[in-house]
Amino acid sequence: MTMLRLSKLSKYFGGVVASQDVDIDVPAGQITGLIGPNGAGKTTIVNMITGMLPVTDGTIHIGDTDITHAPAHTISRAGLARTFQNIRLLSEASVIDNVMIGFHRHETSSTIAALLGLPSAARETMDIQQRAMALLQRFDMADLAEYPAGGLSYGHQRKVEMMRALASEPDFILLDEPIAGMNDVESEGLAEIFRGFAADGKGVLLIEHNVRFVAKLCSKVYVLDGGRLISEGTPDHVLNDQAVITAYLGG
Amino acid sequence: MSQFIAGYLPLFDLYLLHLGLAFSQYIVLRAGVFSLATAAFAGIGAYTAGIFAVNLGLHPVLGLAAGTLTGMGAALFLSIPLARLRGVYQAIATVAFIQIVVSLNIYSESLTGGAMGLNAIPKTVGTGVLLIAAVAATYLVWSIEKGRLGRAFDAIRQDEAVAASLGISITWHQALAFAISGALAGLFGGLEAYHSYALDPNQFGFHLLITVLSYVILGGRNSVAGPLIGTAILIILPELARPLAENRLIIYGIMLIVVINYLPKGIADTAIDTIRARRLKRREAAA
Amino acid sequence: MLAQQLVNGIVVSGVYALFALGFTLVFGIQRILNLAHGAIFMTGAMVAYYVVKAGGALWLGFIMAIIASGLLSVFVEIVCFRRLRKTGDEEFGGIISSIGAGLVIMTIAQRVSDTLILRFPFETFPVVIFKFWGLRVSMLQLFMAGAALVLVFILGYYIYRTSFGRRVRAVTDNEHAAMLMGINPNLIYSQTYFLAGALAGAAGVLVGLAFNSINFIMGEPYLMFGFVIIILGGLGSIPGALLASLVFGMGQTLTIAYLPSGLTDTVIFAALFLILLFRPHGLMGKEEAGNIRGRR
Repeated sequence: MTMLRLSKLSKYFGGVVASQDVDIDVPAGQITGLIGPNGAGKTTIVNMITGMLPVTDGTIHIGDTDITHAPAHTISRAGLARTFQNIRLLSEASVIDNVMIGFHRHETSSTIAALLGLPSAARETMDIQQRAMALLQRFDMADLAEYPAGGLSYGHQRKVEMMRALASEPDFILLDEPIAGMNDVESEGLAEIFRGFAADGKGVLLIEHNVRFVAKLCSKVYVLDGGRLISEGTPDHVLNDQAVITAYLGG
Repeated sequence: MSQFIAGYLPLFDLYLLHLGLAFSQYIVLRAGVFSLATAAFAGIGAYTAGIFAVNLGLHPVLGLAAGTLTGMGAALFLSIPLARLRGVYQAIATVAFIQIVVSLNIYSESLTGGAMGLNAIPKTVGTGVLLIAAVAATYLVWSIEKGRLGRAFDAIRQDEAVAASLGISITWHQALAFAISGALAGLFGGLEAYHSYALDPNQFGFHLLITVLSYVILGGRNSVAGPLIGTAILIILPELARPLAENRLIIYGIMLIVVINYLPKGIADTAIDTIRARRLKRREAAA
Repeated sequence: MLAQQLVNGIVVSGVYALFALGFTLVFGIQRILNLAHGAIFMTGAMVAYYVVKAGGALWLGFIMAIIASGLLSVFVEIVCFRRLRKTGDEEFGGIISSIGAGLVIMTIAQRVSDTLILRFPFETFPVVIFKFWGLRVSMLQLFMAGAALVLVFILGYYIYRTSFGRRVRAVTDNEHAAMLMGINPNLIYSQTYFLAGALAGAAGVLVGLAFNSINFIMGEPYLMFGFVIIILGGLGSIPGALLASLVFGMGQTLTIAYLPSGLTDTVIFAALFLILLFRPHGLMGKEEAGNIRGRR
């Protein structure tokens, strides 16, 4: 079974430990949670997985592919998509353009064809446009296709980001605090979408602050504090773990 | 009538020549590289073409091809160090590159004619050739814009982290944008050489940088219409009235300040945005 | 011979420091590269010339030049950059806007001076040469070095020893927090630009006196040299700019003395290129020059 696997992942900044010996398995078809109080090192983990921060020690694998030291842009090709903590859309571009850029990984027309505007490149653009439109319809946003992404409501922007991640047809999706700043109705809508990802067989790594939300969605939860894992298991197990309670309440 | 056209032909030629350079500047900005090196690439292309014709007596087609290739080669070479830099650092590095090319052209007297410039270049390029080259350049930029390269450039320009997360190689795409920029500048530099009898090393210095940058800033940096419009306005403007011609540089200066402050997207892009917004509004009203 | 070159190098370095300090100070505070700085430098020289020509004493011209260039620099900030900072496009927009300002200032200067090379009347500055230890040092050189030293000290005192300096640093760290503490950032910026412009104007007068040649494009090479110096020193670093001025001034003097003329510029800018490649944050800077960048 394919799996996104972090083993003994460590990061030191000089002498400061940002994360140490972190082992996380994200199996396909399930939602795996990673929680922890502020400053626990969640962002460091995200940045290491996505190639934005060099790994000090340990490895990251997607299936059999080692992506530990892969440059950021090759990680998408290995089958991992991500969303950002603060939504990051191309705000000058329209909604559909934002989704279309997600298909980059699957664009195959040659550079020469793209430079010269040959029919093969034009066909590919048409094709991608249709697929992006299909995604927009699936997310009930077809009406907004031509609008500048920067002007949308927060909830809609989050959906655009999800579509962009989906467009690359990833095997794994990394969600970095996806419901921050959302109300209950909006976050329930997103929860449905995340369940859909898992039902499609994708592995989801959900990094969240909101423990309640994670408990509701995840089959397995990891808890990070001070850069180390302090607990793992089912949501029930983790939430009743004394170490976790202490970490969150600052005991 | 024909006299009228003949009177304005030099102006039209200038437009076509500078349009190519404007596209060269445009394409790097589009890909998120803050390079100002177009003037240097144009100088390299012009001198290569000039030397091919004057010193070696070769056919102009060969000279133009050589100019294009050396412009592109220089750009690719420059893209390697530039990939490690961002923002103002790129701007400074490329301005330094322009200075290096100018001072090398002055220094290498036996090859380039030094400060006296390269003279007696046979004039082999007329309006027809310029028109073909300008149309081809416009087509190239247009097809880049509507295809996957344009999408990748836009993503890199707006947010490099997002672009990388979607699998877009920043280094590769920016090197490509550079190569195109260098090739365009090299070609149009070569055309300039065969169109104007003589080359002066200072012709490809800071002054040309400002001129070309002004075209793109005024016209707009995000659509093919930007350089087309910006170049046209700034070339026609001095012809409209004598005071405009006499105060050309002041007008360029004020224009740069006003446009970047109050119309930061330039004329074409602002117009496109406005039209799009109006269309959406009309559709909303109809629905 | 070498000792003489070193002395000349030190004098030149002082002038470069005056020019580069303001250039880098403005970048350090606003992250704006003010490309009109060369034109402001030239304005200083021109103002001094016209004061002297109108019968004023040189010291009066010097002071007027400092005030005029300072005010011009403040004006450039208000017209060219203030609005851009609000939209957050100051890095790209600032370069474009200040290129525009430089063009306008230079063209006006060209009109005023009728494109001529202006020269101070003979003996505006007394020609006195001191000879000792086999060296020749002119009174003007001593004056240049002295003036540079005094002005640099004044700047250093302002930045590191007064409440103004603390407020500058507060605004640089966090403009919003500084505002909450009752600091008016615009006032701080105006003062900073005044200092930067005043130093550049002083440098302009000294260069004008040294070569006795003033024209509307005299700022351009200094802008280029300024690039090299502030990159070498690390963009935004004041001690870095000082050290780099010395390194650059010495290096340039020796290059001119010992390399074929005409190749000097090539060597200087090739050096800049190499610095950008291998030490983009300069000798002393910490700034990251090439990280993957987020939104803009």
